[in-house]
Amino acid sequence: MSYNYIELVSLVLLAIGCFFILSGSLGLIKLPDVFSRIHAAGLIDTLGSGFIVLALIVYSGFSLLSLKLLLIPLFLIFTSPVTGHAIALFAHESGYKPKGKNKK
Amino acid sequence: MAKLNKDSLKTLSFITYFIILFVFWFILSGYLKSLLLFFGLVSVLFVFWMSYRAKALEEDSLPLKIILRLPFYWIWLFKEIFKSGITTTALIWNGKYSPQLISVKASQKNRTGIANYANAITLTPGTVTIEVDKKTFLVHALSKKLSEDLQTDDMNKVITDLDK
Repeated sequence: MSYNYIELVSLVLLAIGCFFILSGSLGLIKLPDVFSRIHAAGLIDTLGSGFIVLALIVYSGFSLLSLKLLLIPLFLIFTSPVTGHAIALFAHESGYKPKGKNKK
Repeated sequence: MAKLNKDSLKTLSFITYFIILFVFWFILSGYLKSLLLFFGLVSVLFVFWMSYRAKALEEDSLPLKIILRLPFYWIWLFKEIFKSGITTTALIWNGKYSPQLISVKASQKNRTGIANYANAITLTPGTVTIEVDKKTFLVHALSKKLSEDLQTDDMNKVITDLDK
């Protein structure tokens, strides 16, 4: 197996992105309440998708395609806080109290 | 940018908005034929007219003053996201989280700045803005360290300085 340099870099970036998505999914299950789970979802939105798009840009080389790829995290950066905030605000308004310490 | 009066600033922001729309169209399509460029121009003009009619081009919706500082701000924001992302990942794996609510003061002058600050807090993993009052945010943080990072006021200062 012989990888060239660019493939190796994009592989490493993909692995980092996958790791963040895995941790986010784990957090989504493991964390105690709604508010904490939003943090885990935010981790997937920002770092997970960011690293994967970065890996794709490195892999495809710089062209018009990479500009299009750059638009994906740009839109995610504008929309993901809005959804997170909407969920948090609704949970807060309907009377959910955040759990305090860990271990229930 | 020197002192401009209100009308010329408005015209300038219209032109900038138009250019941004056209560049966006070009990135998405990638065509260079003159007929297709003309169709692109027509659609950009249509979108421009619609956003003018929807009053989406008010004075602080397209903050011209900060547009040159935005790339630096984004680089700084990515750095912050990365740092707190590492912290949050570690918290998820080792389970030493202790969620807490804190209130954070915002010192931005206009609505765009406040929305920007609230979004930046939510974007950095481990902190979520729950409620925005006039000048104070209710923030949910995943651990004590993350909430202390927020209370050092660094992010607030950077975003306030963006709009000077």
